[in-house]
Amino acid sequence: MKPIIELRGVNKYYGDYHALRDIEADIGEGEFFSLLGPSGCGKTTLLRTIAGFEDVSSGTVHIGGKLMEGVPANKRPTNMVFQSYAIFPHLSVAQNVGFGLRRRSDLNAPAKQALIEDALDMVGLDGYGGRAAHALSGGQRQRVALARALILKPKVLLLDEPLSALDKKLRDQMQSELRRLQRHVGITFILVTHDQEEALIMSDRIAVMFEGRIAQLATPQQLYRRPQSRQVADFIGVMNFLPARVTGVQGDAVALEVAGLGAVQIAAEQAPGGAATGQASVGFRPETLTILFDGEAPKGRVADGVIDEVTYYGDMTYYAVRLEGVEQPLTISMRNVFGRKVLAQGEATRVAWDPGALVLFG
Amino acid sequence: MRGLRVYTIFYLIFLYAPIILLPLFAFNASTIIAFPLSGFTTEWFAELWAAPAMHQALRNSLIIAVSSAVLATCLGIFAARAATRFTFPGKGPIMGLIMLPLVLPEIIVAVSLLVVLLGVGINLGMWTVILGHVLICTPFSIAILNSAFLSLDGSLEEAAYDLGETRWSTFRLITLPLIMPGIISSLLISFTISLDEFIIAFFLTGTEPTLPVYIWSQLRFPTKIPSIMALGTILVALSIVLLIIAEYYRRLGVRKTGGKDTGGFL
Repeated sequence: MKPIIELRGVNKYYGDYHALRDIEADIGEGEFFSLLGPSGCGKTTLLRTIAGFEDVSSGTVHIGGKLMEGVPANKRPTNMVFQSYAIFPHLSVAQNVGFGLRRRSDLNAPAKQALIEDALDMVGLDGYGGRAAHALSGGQRQRVALARALILKPKVLLLDEPLSALDKKLRDQMQSELRRLQRHVGITFILVTHDQEEALIMSDRIAVMFEGRIAQLATPQQLYRRPQSRQVADFIGVMNFLPARVTGVQGDAVALEVAGLGAVQIAAEQAPGGAATGQASVGFRPETLTILFDGEAPKGRVADGVIDEVTYYGDMTYYAVRLEGVEQPLTISMRNVFGRKVLAQGEATRVAWDPGALVLFG
Repeated sequence: MRGLRVYTIFYLIFLYAPIILLPLFAFNASTIIAFPLSGFTTEWFAELWAAPAMHQALRNSLIIAVSSAVLATCLGIFAARAATRFTFPGKGPIMGLIMLPLVLPEIIVAVSLLVVLLGVGINLGMWTVILGHVLICTPFSIAILNSAFLSLDGSLEEAAYDLGETRWSTFRLITLPLIMPGIISSLLISFTISLDEFIIAFFLTGTEPTLPVYIWSQLRFPTKIPSIMALGTILVALSIVLLIIAEYYRRLGVRKTGGKDTGGFL
């Protein structure tokens, strides 16, 4: 991977407030990269630092191999899609899209017109050029903002929560459209979002941020399967946690005593946050546990439990199951199969689980 | 309900009867301001037209009002932009002090300005009146432009800057057109305040009277009163025309930017 953006030791202070802490990251050419985290975690500050709207307190930002210190936003090879879209209300759609071409003296008017039409075509708004910008719907505004930012052929497109203002259905549609657009233009997209599902669906890689720090930078699959900390595990999807005790480490294997599950041996790579000693906890996803229905033979190991709560979603059922000797109920998701009954609250059940699915946290 | 209606009618009479009397006596063929009316004449307008002192006063007033309006609005743009876009130490007290002349008695402002100007040794004249009027118009201008800047999404400016424009061209291409209705309002209101301001003008004008000072000086001569009525009529008509023009542009602005109309002058 050839990096287009290199962040080295980036720190940002607002007075006493430490907004970005020792950010280290390489973002690759043509990558769909997401900054994910709860509000106030610094993800938008980091995006604005890359855009040139904020300067760093210490550390360096390189874009395309060039140091960006002292380079203002209007001179950087990046363009931004704002959360509010920032469509100029007093201009037409075509004037909005062509706004960045104003300073391009190397192009004559027909050439600019052709570029504007290409850009509108690319976002599916061909024929909308003459419309007044303020008469557009939310989804159309977003497309205008995309066309306007992409017409300058930036090295990196920055997107600040671009889908948060859209309703659910339009958001789902725009997610796949954005992804398709990114593959089509082939440039790096950096997306800021607080929606973990959106980040998982769209990104090649995700940086999860908490309190100004990158907690983990990984592919969606790595993040989901091997979160490095409980905080990351908790933020991405649903994770069950059980208290555990490390009883021994032998080469590449770690021996554990897990509450409700007993003695387990796991591989060292199942502790992505580093080796734990003594008191620890293990986590596993709801779909790695299986409810055993009448007569089913277990694959892996089995634990006994009682159904505490049933949530029926049509295609799926979520069970809260209390294992013997464990206070906290575990969430188990089961795909509903035609002809199989849904268990009721209070029923005793057997739960199959796989030691390979566990993640150990220190 | 009925009581409220009567109250409304009386209120409107109280508000507009004097203004309606103005043209009535301006066209009345008698030097005495009393009913019954004695006939139609345009003599008073002719007399007004023939008075060179009035022309001079009008010219002074227009120069002062236009200068004050432009200066106050420029200062207002800077202050309102600073107040809405940036945070800096002491912002609250500074803005409070700038807005204070809004509620300060004009006579105090006039007297203290006079003392300071005489102390420094500046000759009184149109420039000193402009100075005083800018002082009292600027808070109005800031109040109007503050709301114009507040309704402007800050990311519009950032978007233009991000697309390669400079700070200045961003201001010219994006900020200025979008706050234009606020600027027009500010110019108009500052102009009106300056045009009919009396106390500061009276204290600081020296030998160049403004229109209100001229009117006041003419009231000593009972025969001049009808022509003052004629002058008043012209000023009222002018104000109405100005207000209509301003409202037209304000609505045009709202329509152009697709904003929600939250009411204006009319």
